[in-house]
Amino acid sequence: MSTSGPLFAGIDAGSTYTKAALVDGQGQLVATSIDMTGVNILAAAKKVYADLLAKACVGEGDVAFAVGTGYGRYKITFGKAQVTEIACHAKGAHFLFPQTRTVLDMGGQDTKAIRIDGRGDVVDFCMNDKCAAGTGRFIEGAARAIGLSLAEVGDISLRSSQPVKISSTCAVFAEMETQEQLAWGNRLEDILYGVHAAIASRAIGLVRRVGIEPEVTFTGGVSLNRGMKRCLEEQLGIRLNADPLTMFCGALGAAQFSLEKMTASAVT
Amino acid sequence: MAETVSAPIPRDFDRAKRLQGELVKAYLQSLSDPAARGSRRIGYAFVMANPIEILSAFDILPLYPEITSLNISYRGGAPPLIALAEEEGYSTDACGYVKMGIAAAMDNVQTILGPIPKPDVLLLSYSGCQIYIHWWEQLHYRTGAPIFVLDIPYLRDFDGNIPKHDIEYVAAQLWEFVEKLEALTGRRFDEGNFKETVRRSGEAWGLWRRCLEMGKRRPTPFDAYFESIYYMAPITFARGSEECIAFYRVLLDELQRRTEAGVGPTAEERYRLVFEGVPNYPFFKRFWGLFREHNARGVASTYPKVAGMVDTGSFRLDPIRPMESLAEYMIHAYCNWNMPMRTHLIERYVREYAADGVVIHSIKSCRSFSMGQGDIREYLAKECDIPTLLIESDHVDPRYFSEAQMRNRVDAFFETLSVRGRS
Repeated sequence: MSTSGPLFAGIDAGSTYTKAALVDGQGQLVATSIDMTGVNILAAAKKVYADLLAKACVGEGDVAFAVGTGYGRYKITFGKAQVTEIACHAKGAHFLFPQTRTVLDMGGQDTKAIRIDGRGDVVDFCMNDKCAAGTGRFIEGAARAIGLSLAEVGDISLRSSQPVKISSTCAVFAEMETQEQLAWGNRLEDILYGVHAAIASRAIGLVRRVGIEPEVTFTGGVSLNRGMKRCLEEQLGIRLNADPLTMFCGALGAAQFSLEKMTASAVT
Repeated sequence: MAETVSAPIPRDFDRAKRLQGELVKAYLQSLSDPAARGSRRIGYAFVMANPIEILSAFDILPLYPEITSLNISYRGGAPPLIALAEEEGYSTDACGYVKMGIAAAMDNVQTILGPIPKPDVLLLSYSGCQIYIHWWEQLHYRTGAPIFVLDIPYLRDFDGNIPKHDIEYVAAQLWEFVEKLEALTGRRFDEGNFKETVRRSGEAWGLWRRCLEMGKRRPTPFDAYFESIYYMAPITFARGSEECIAFYRVLLDELQRRTEAGVGPTAEERYRLVFEGVPNYPFFKRFWGLFREHNARGVASTYPKVAGMVDTGSFRLDPIRPMESLAEYMIHAYCNWNMPMRTHLIERYVREYAADGVVIHSIKSCRSFSMGQGDIREYLAKECDIPTLLIESDHVDPRYFSEAQMRNRVDAFFETLSVRGRS
């Protein structure tokens, strides 16, 4: 893909994956890229950024402004500004689904419920406390206990007919509990449904704290998990927006902030 | 995102804090140095709702394990004491103050402040926390010091009115406490001196209130949360003394001079915040830095009122009716307040001090303080449309402080405030 005019980048250095997005001067998406964060946040960010530029067939000089977000945002030295992923997910969700008023971002190590206004600005937010129960780590632990990949567990859980109750107290204990349930002879899909339902109940507690106002957009890496989406929709009683781009919402929002910041500095 | 790191407050405008440091140092020395203490007995008491004026009447030096614990934690000395208590069997979920206090009272235990002297008297005057009762009982079992329990009824009326019989009930207990101390010390209670102490306390409360209300100025000349935590020390441990009155005169003068000179705790005043909750002591300056970086100043807060609800018209110490007015002061302890009163006080602070938002710092240790803070947040955010941030760590246990997570929430909160200001 090639494009003309200045471009605006967003890099989201998350705890598990680093994502990047590029938009043009009208805010339209040009490219995205993703890779594991690993131990070197800056190296991962540089690699993902290089991939992004390669996909768009542009060079660094074509990017007018770059914003870093995510836990590693202060490590992204080539970014010109940093914005929290809370504001970025709000902005990114608004970009993908403009009627969004509530965002549920479920990432590797935290879950956020964000209430936003009609411009994609944050009105209120709540996050999980210092505990991985109710986050992507919880599913990861359960998947590891069974020897399945993250991508597989959600789809398998969709086949459940007699869900098993899994405690939502602790991500570490969930791993042990999953193994126990298997040993008792429960079916894999029913156990996995229980895992997803447990996380959904924790996440919904957060969403209720900020107030549920439709439309609700599901973002972050876990939004790709169809089993998780179904559990949330069943428990909330409403449909959630989610598509392959919602996992890039942090980076997309950061790219939109790049554009806004450049526009603001041009005005002032 | 962090934008400005504030310069320190000019020395000439920070005298009160240095004076506070000297008073705390002298106080701690009077506890730990037998020569400085002389023949005075040590009376353990809680910060909230304590009748220090009665202890003073018997020349009993009050020792507040909460204050020694927070001082130890502020200086980085909490982990060994917490570990010692946990080795004894105290749960990781038990209050950090309790664990540190129990460990500090064990035989031959050194702290970063030196050995903490054992109690001669244990005064249990605080009904807001069940765990504290068991803490004092443990100290009683371990040291043999007599324990006096004052039962303080909760404030049940949502308008803050105290039934007459509750005042009489507490005042009668205070008179009984006087009799017990007469028997314990062999001294006669000098009512004239006691009334004079109560009068001096009242004068200090009045000055402290005027200092706190300086937070209404725009810009506020001081941080009514982070700086008040230093300034609240004399009203807590030196109440009833001339030194205490002198301190608040110095502070009031300094705040007036700061106002005239346009000096404050941050380079500019960009955000005005109300704070609720106990601070994080082991990382106090870093915790404050999360807000200072954004040029945010606390304009009012609830925590400095744990020594007394000084700015709510709840009590007025009166030498004409000393025991009754002390009873009113004690019943009006912050954690004795019902939740609607606590919630509406914060809401009122936002209006009266023209604040942009509320920050609630919830601590793992303290159920009586943290209970209901989720509801407070919801009420303020949903019913009053006041931006409200709830963050979590602990007041003394450094294991619960995660700076990256807290910074994320604080930065996002300021992003939200900046957007509100724009619209």
